[in-house]
Amino acid sequence: MTPRTQTLRFDAVVVGTGAGGAPLLSRLARAGLKVLALEAGPVHPLSEMATDERTQEKLFWKDERISSGQDPIGFGRNNSGIGVGGSTLHYTAYVPRVQPDDLKLRTEFGVGQDWPLEYSDLEPYYDELEHFLGISGPEHYPWGPPRNQSYRHAALPLNAAAKAMQRGCAALGIRTSSAPNAALSAPQEQEGYGVRHACTNRGFCQAGCSVGAKASVDVTFLPLAVKGGAEIRPNSFVTRFLLEGNRITGVEYLRDGLLEQVFTDTLFLCAGAIETPRLLLMQNLANSSGQVGRNFMAHVGTQVWGRFEEETQPFMGIPGSLISEDTHRLEGMVGGYLLQSIGAMPVTYASQYARGTGTWGKKLLEHMSGYTKVAGINVLGEGLPYDGNFLELSPELDARGLPKPIIHYSNGDNEKKMAAHAEKLMRDIWTAAGAHDLWTFPRGAHTLGTARMGQDSRSSVINRDCKSWDLENLYICDNSIFPSSLSVNPALTQMALSLRTADVFLKG
Amino acid sequence: MDPSEKAQLLELLESNRVTNATRRVLLERLNQKFERQFFSVSHLELLRTVALRLVPHDPLELDLVGPIDGRLAHGDSKGWRYADLALEPNPYKSLLEALPKDFLQLEGEVQDSILEGVQKEFPRAFEDLLAELVEIYYSHPLVQVRIGYYGFADAQGWTL
Repeated sequence: MTPRTQTLRFDAVVVGTGAGGAPLLSRLARAGLKVLALEAGPVHPLSEMATDERTQEKLFWKDERISSGQDPIGFGRNNSGIGVGGSTLHYTAYVPRVQPDDLKLRTEFGVGQDWPLEYSDLEPYYDELEHFLGISGPEHYPWGPPRNQSYRHAALPLNAAAKAMQRGCAALGIRTSSAPNAALSAPQEQEGYGVRHACTNRGFCQAGCSVGAKASVDVTFLPLAVKGGAEIRPNSFVTRFLLEGNRITGVEYLRDGLLEQVFTDTLFLCAGAIETPRLLLMQNLANSSGQVGRNFMAHVGTQVWGRFEEETQPFMGIPGSLISEDTHRLEGMVGGYLLQSIGAMPVTYASQYARGTGTWGKKLLEHMSGYTKVAGINVLGEGLPYDGNFLELSPELDARGLPKPIIHYSNGDNEKKMAAHAEKLMRDIWTAAGAHDLWTFPRGAHTLGTARMGQDSRSSVINRDCKSWDLENLYICDNSIFPSSLSVNPALTQMALSLRTADVFLKG
Repeated sequence: MDPSEKAQLLELLESNRVTNATRRVLLERLNQKFERQFFSVSHLELLRTVALRLVPHDPLELDLVGPIDGRLAHGDSKGWRYADLALEPNPYKSLLEALPKDFLQLEGEVQDSILEGVQKEFPRAFEDLLAELVEIYYSHPLVQVRIGYYGFADAQGWTL
């Protein structure tokens, strides 16, 4: 197929419009650069966000990924986004800041990786984001360094799971706090978008917000970028990069079944921790270190569910409403985890119960008849990089003729110890809160680390400013760049890295 | 099926408690009919019988296998696959072909004990099939209201 070539040249092309691509896109556009974002998926207008999990699977990346290893990771759901806004369309919107010691894991424990950045590099961006996104949170957050400002909006109301977790934790002497959550507890004017409404407690954050309350980038950074002159081109699936020496000169992509090319001075690759290394490996680019695709990490994400005497209506209220970081460091373990209350949409809950317990037949239906009385909690814990956990290209091709990715993942000793510790603690919390019929869903959450940043070009793909060691005009900014997983939800830190990358680039 | 149950559901779906986007997809699902496109007649019949055991339901009220047949006819993936399952147009072929020839004629409890063996022998494919059936079943609005879920009627939001 002969590509349709566009003679129009851009100062920067951004591949991907999620938490990694959107913030920097807006920054570059506002600085007056001619910028284009290529997004593999479609636009998902708020008016077409149905309260129906099956329909909302349109927000998930469904091209087949092959899952290998002792603890294969499931994709196609909450860890895999597609469409304008990327995974922010279905993130839970828990937005805690990283604690500084998580950035220096190797210094503290002798294993894992240190980040080539300090907390002070991220802090001004956290401040900016918490204001810009309109984060709702408690007046005083009990963990981490003191903040320069309060959260912009009051904390969101607690759902039933959060109240149960509060009760159970109090009985065990564990501190809890309303979580910082990027959904609005009060309306907010958003530049380039208009007024975002306050959260209506739909409880459907993980299947798409229909009211604009949740600060996904389609209602925050992307409208700002468009106002600044950026162009966003949906349904544009990047297939390869055009090169001249050690510079990327353009991008080739499929749109509506046709191959197109655009030319650019700089490329920002923000396609996520699966598609970014997949694209690079297809041409063996930016890989003099041999680290592209390596160090795949997932958070320890164990969930514990239980049934209560009273109705919990687990679909109501913000799923991400209560948090504890009292388990940030644990005796005998590298790093730690945080505890969070969660919500339950019926289809996801039933599917996880079936997969997690293997239950079927009448027993399954009996369990689900108690759906309105269940509630869950989960952890999000440090997942270390290991040599055996990596992404590679399969000889098997997808419908476009491109190699499918194979993701190898096995928990190491630290993850196993942490998951066991977390399961016991969550069972104790749930028992103290009055739950019975407890069951555990083991899980690895998020996709991280496959094009990591570092101080040494021999052991990392990009430097501290997200610039490729090999190609002089390639930047990478998505969850692939995390050198360690951090024991917090990644979205806020990802957006901070994105803004920082743009600022460093613009300073030249 | 109790006709008043469906009437009540329709009344709720038509009300202003349901958004247009949600109403459209749920009404469509409520009335959806499927034509066989992918499975052979014999595999379809076997799969329908297996589905009745894994997720007991009234096949006149809802078709759990039709959506699977449609998905495979389009070659759609769920987004991933266990590496130890080979790439097959029909990922459930090994399961179905492991069932005895007289499976359809057996008593339900005997079918269950055979399926328990299949679950042990083909854990990955069995898990995938079970999850797919469960997701289709609990996506049906009649099934949802029967377990007390009415979250789709959220156009006015919820007060906690």
